[in-house]
Amino acid sequence: MPTTTVDINSIPNVRRIENFPKDEMQAHAMELTHSVYPHEEIYGSYCTLEEYIDCPPEDVFRYLADVYTLEEWTYSLRDFEATETPGEVVSFDKIGGKTRIYSKAVAHEGPMTVDFHCAWDQGDKLWMIYLMRVVPAELVLNKRGSVVLWTNCRHPYYDKNPYPEKGPADRKVWVGDMWPFFYAGHHVEMQNLKHILEYRHANGLPINPREVRA
Amino acid sequence: MKPMSLVGAAGYLPETIVENGFFEAEGAARGTGMFKGSKTRHHVAKGETATDMIERAATRLATKLGLSLPKDVDILLANVTCLDMPFTGVGASAAKRLGIKSPFVIDVHNSGCVSFVYMMAIARGLMASTGAKTALVCNVQNAAGRVFRHEDNRKRAQSAVPGDGCGVGYLVANDECPVRSIVTHCYPDYADDMRVLSDDGHSWWEPRSTALHIDFTEERVASIVSRGNTLVPNVVKEACAAAEIKTRDIGTLVTNQPSHIFLRNWREALELPKEAHVESFEEHGNLFGAALPINIERALASGRVTKGSHLVLGGFSHAGDYAASAVVHWQPG
Repeated sequence: MPTTTVDINSIPNVRRIENFPKDEMQAHAMELTHSVYPHEEIYGSYCTLEEYIDCPPEDVFRYLADVYTLEEWTYSLRDFEATETPGEVVSFDKIGGKTRIYSKAVAHEGPMTVDFHCAWDQGDKLWMIYLMRVVPAELVLNKRGSVVLWTNCRHPYYDKNPYPEKGPADRKVWVGDMWPFFYAGHHVEMQNLKHILEYRHANGLPINPREVRA
Repeated sequence: MKPMSLVGAAGYLPETIVENGFFEAEGAARGTGMFKGSKTRHHVAKGETATDMIERAATRLATKLGLSLPKDVDILLANVTCLDMPFTGVGASAAKRLGIKSPFVIDVHNSGCVSFVYMMAIARGLMASTGAKTALVCNVQNAAGRVFRHEDNRKRAQSAVPGDGCGVGYLVANDECPVRSIVTHCYPDYADDMRVLSDDGHSWWEPRSTALHIDFTEERVASIVSRGNTLVPNVVKEACAAAEIKTRDIGTLVTNQPSHIFLRNWREALELPKEAHVESFEEHGNLFGAALPINIERALASGRVTKGSHLVLGGFSHAGDYAASAVVHWQPG
């Protein structure tokens, strides 16, 4: 039976200054530090990107937390409508022709996280999850504005569509086929987010026009 | 500019071979961590001078190329890690030993590990502006046996890495194996990041009670590694662009060899297969400036530098104060 006093330094692959001296740590760090990294190694299983946005963090958070703003800053999500499930919306992902995409935003105001739970073709299991976090740039970069972190994990469904019968019959492309372009696609969308919000903030315009209409 | 060719290189390695177990630092003995990949290195013998080493390498080169050194050397350039004599340098002493009577005998004390390429640039300038037609370029690395072997230093992790050797190269003002480009950079901001220190706090010229050693300040190690990772691929790319070739057209790459990690990272950054990068870290350790001519000789002897292929040289020195690269179009007649 495991004891509560297990020596964590004896656990394989745990490296702490007590069991892995500084010299060895430095050598290990050099071994791990390459000049260049293959794309697959960096973006193969996870796709993380980050950007600075010159717009107050509370505004960026509130904007992202409104799932309908995906219509503005994403490359191809359009024509949003509510579904019968509260908080869940449906739109077209035009990158997949007539593909329907179901989305909801799960937002937490304290840590300013906004997780988009999405899926192509069906709204029962929202397995495509976009994890975003807004960080006050004041804290991390000592300047005004926001830092936005964004991670996707390569869920196994990206490699194999579990509901092929639910998509348009003539659609050849599957969302996971584009995983090698996720960094590029998300980079473009992050730039959209940055430039839309910076423009509105710099010009004193409403950050989220939907809030004005409401 | 008048064409200049690199037509050959030759090396000399001191007789004493030292294995990892000689060093007391943990890791060095086992060949792990920063010492991974190094098994042996040569150390100069006590009393063996830089002039002796140049004589041995230059004599081998003269035999290989059928040169009469007194007649066939218009320019003598030399870089020595650990001078036989402070103040005077090695140039005149080497010229005397080799019977060379040239007006251009120059000690090049800077640009350390990439000084071979830097001296190529100096030779090309001299050939272009004077009647000089030939140059003997000499690199001596003798700090392993003179400094790192010292019993005060054997316990230091850094001491297992250097190895001694001398390499010389021969340049001719013709288009036999033309040097298509030479790019050199000096980065003054990095000039003071490598220091030669003694634990008793005294400078090298003062009476001291402890041995000298090299100090890369701990707070700068990560930034020096990251500098080295980028400086060399960048300067190699620049030299390739100046020579109007793509990096994938590099037939053979020869660089300085500070550690197996830098060698790996430079290859990866240039997307070159391991066999295209000729080095000798495992047997010779860090040869400082002598790595280039010694490894050029190795590359030429291996037969992989084929007619019409591009031999590309590159490296950086110290903590990044110099970086240089050259492209040689190998066209043996």
